[in-house]
Amino acid sequence: MNKILRNRVAYMVFVVPALVLYITFYLIPLFKSLQYSVTSWDGITAPVYNGVDNFIRALSDEKFWVAFKNNIYFVLFSVFIQVPIIIVVSILVSGVKRLLDFYKLTVFMPSILSTASIAVIWQFIYSPDAGLLNQILKAAGLETWTRLWLGDEKTAFLSVLVTNGWQWTGFYIVLVLAGIFAIPKEILEAGEIDGAVGWRKAWLLTIPLIRPVIVVTMLLSITGAMKALDIVLIMTNGGPFGSSEVMATYMYQQAYALGDFGYANAIAIIITVFTAILSLIYHLVNKKTSKEAEY
Amino acid sequence: MKKSLTLLMIVALMGMLTLAGCSGSSKPADPPKESGGTTTPEPEKAESFDVVIRHINVRDTAKAMLKQLEEVSAATEKEVPGLKFKLDGVEDTVNRDVKLKAEMTSGTQPPLFNLFGGDDTIKYAKAGRLLALNDMLTELGIADAFFNLREFTVDGKIYGLPESGYIEGFFYNKKLFEDAGVTVPKTWDELLAVCEALKAKGITPIAMGDGSGDGWVANMLVNSLFVGLGGPALQDGFATGATKWTDPAVVEALKRVQDLKNKGYIDPNVLGLKYSQGQANFYTGKAAMLFDGSWAANAITGDTSTVKDVSGFFRLPDVGGPGDGYINGGWSNGFGVSANLKENELKAVKAFIKNWYNVEQQKRSLIESSRIPAMKGVSNVEGATELVKSLGESQGSAKGAFPAFDALVQKSVKVTLEQTVQELLGGKITPEKAAERMQQAQEKAIKEGK
Repeated sequence: MNKILRNRVAYMVFVVPALVLYITFYLIPLFKSLQYSVTSWDGITAPVYNGVDNFIRALSDEKFWVAFKNNIYFVLFSVFIQVPIIIVVSILVSGVKRLLDFYKLTVFMPSILSTASIAVIWQFIYSPDAGLLNQILKAAGLETWTRLWLGDEKTAFLSVLVTNGWQWTGFYIVLVLAGIFAIPKEILEAGEIDGAVGWRKAWLLTIPLIRPVIVVTMLLSITGAMKALDIVLIMTNGGPFGSSEVMATYMYQQAYALGDFGYANAIAIIITVFTAILSLIYHLVNKKTSKEAEY
Repeated sequence: MKKSLTLLMIVALMGMLTLAGCSGSSKPADPPKESGGTTTPEPEKAESFDVVIRHINVRDTAKAMLKQLEEVSAATEKEVPGLKFKLDGVEDTVNRDVKLKAEMTSGTQPPLFNLFGGDDTIKYAKAGRLLALNDMLTELGIADAFFNLREFTVDGKIYGLPESGYIEGFFYNKKLFEDAGVTVPKTWDELLAVCEALKAKGITPIAMGDGSGDGWVANMLVNSLFVGLGGPALQDGFATGATKWTDPAVVEALKRVQDLKNKGYIDPNVLGLKYSQGQANFYTGKAAMLFDGSWAANAITGDTSTVKDVSGFFRLPDVGGPGDGYINGGWSNGFGVSANLKENELKAVKAFIKNWYNVEQQKRSLIESSRIPAMKGVSNVEGATELVKSLGESQGSAKGAFPAFDALVQKSVKVTLEQTVQELLGGKITPEKAAERMQQAQEKAIKEGK
């Protein structure tokens, strides 16, 4: 092993291809985007340099902040509603003695479907007349609860969040389950002998022991929420009247509906920066609490 | 050392291969030269080549149109040795807003493609991506054969050819009208009375799907209304600032649309439905009227329609303004040709245009796909449906036609109106406020020049 590490040629053989891919598909687009973000460009004619105008415009653009706010809702929903559900369900499933594979498979199913299919399926579920949800409500005598789920600004974004949650919960549950099953039996047994059973066991033993998995789950949820595009684009396309817009769909609209590629690139850069900041904050908070957890 | 050099080269090669995979237009190496050295030329054995035709006939309702296109391209292949057409169908908005736009940016547009007139054509022509067709049209003798090429003409050069025309107005279900004891309304008040009678019968008067990305649907009605109330000159002046969105005619138009919604005449689910769902509510007999373009005739007379034989068409009733009698119509969608064509590709394109743009094909698409002709001289339309005939009558009896407003204003204004009218239908904004916001968006667009 050491010999290979010292052999520079072999080193390069392994590293260069990955580096080339990384540069081609990550760094070059990022810097191109940065370059276009300081221009006024319609995507066809030559870009005109306009300094930081696009960034100033974004920061004073009301609609951009609506989109940003929705991204934050997305993050909060993921972290404070989805993740707890994931942990609770995982602990429940991990305690099941029979049909474990069946449960695992059932919860995992939605995440193997493509987002596009899921978005279309749920569009049918939310459909005003023939939609499953309104039909069920009507059948249950809750006629007054029926809504134009995706056409009402009060419910549109929430409906999208629920769909997104439905899609990804299973994936994370399987991730967390793997963490739970990796806990050495001896520790749990020792805990049980000391009297930790039921929720006490979960809270004092299982959760602290799967902490690394939960940390990853949360990080993936946060970055996933910040860059969400496809599900919103298909289900509501930002509507009604821009109330369910997220930053990525707003960027998409600027580029492809309005042909303002310079501004769209600026928004792309802002999304990158915001996501990096949020991840950093999360990282710091996590580091701090993990130190506390050691004592 | 030698060994390491070889390894380095392998690495470099791998890198290059990875990159080569990215370029979309990897050209094949030179064609294999004939060996043997004899100089006898092979007669008429042209090298085979592919020409892509980008079209938008992908929906089930456009099947007849696709078949027609397939037959014409097959016939053209026989005329040009070595030619093979590749039909590339892409959904219309995806093609217009994403795919073609991206191709235009990089200059990799297909030789022949579906193109919209107005703003799109102007932009692409200025970027030098479109071929001016004036000479070709003269050569083929069809320079004067079209009704109107205005939307495809930039500085006297013609950059596209419309396939068919359109008009916008109300489709209606004759049977439901009969059941409710009403007839085709001639004035706005009569329209309101018709709606009331239908509603009393438990029938949704006007079907409409204006949800999510389909905000343009309601604007067809808004457009016809403000032109009816303010006259065609009103919308011509928006883009330059000569007229304003705060004009009383626009406010009144917005008021009337909101009124239709508030009284329950427009489907209450309008914001939860997509364009196609709104259309379906009409052609499955759930709603009595649909404000739509003549292209909808295809769906209304299609296989899944239950109102095939009972549907008719009338233009917007008189609303009491200088625009009464005018109809929203034009010829704004067709084919454009790429500016960078090889000689043989140009030959193929020319042959296709000759075969596609003639009275015979125009007549066929009128009868089979209910498309309004873009070329003069179509007569004897036996076999056309009743609906198509009433479309023809509406077009013929109108005082004149005006283009859709989005061909005249900046794109950002179009998008603002879409969101604003959605808010109007949702009861979130008053007509006055909506008009003010439109004017602000318009002024901003004029200032920024986009």
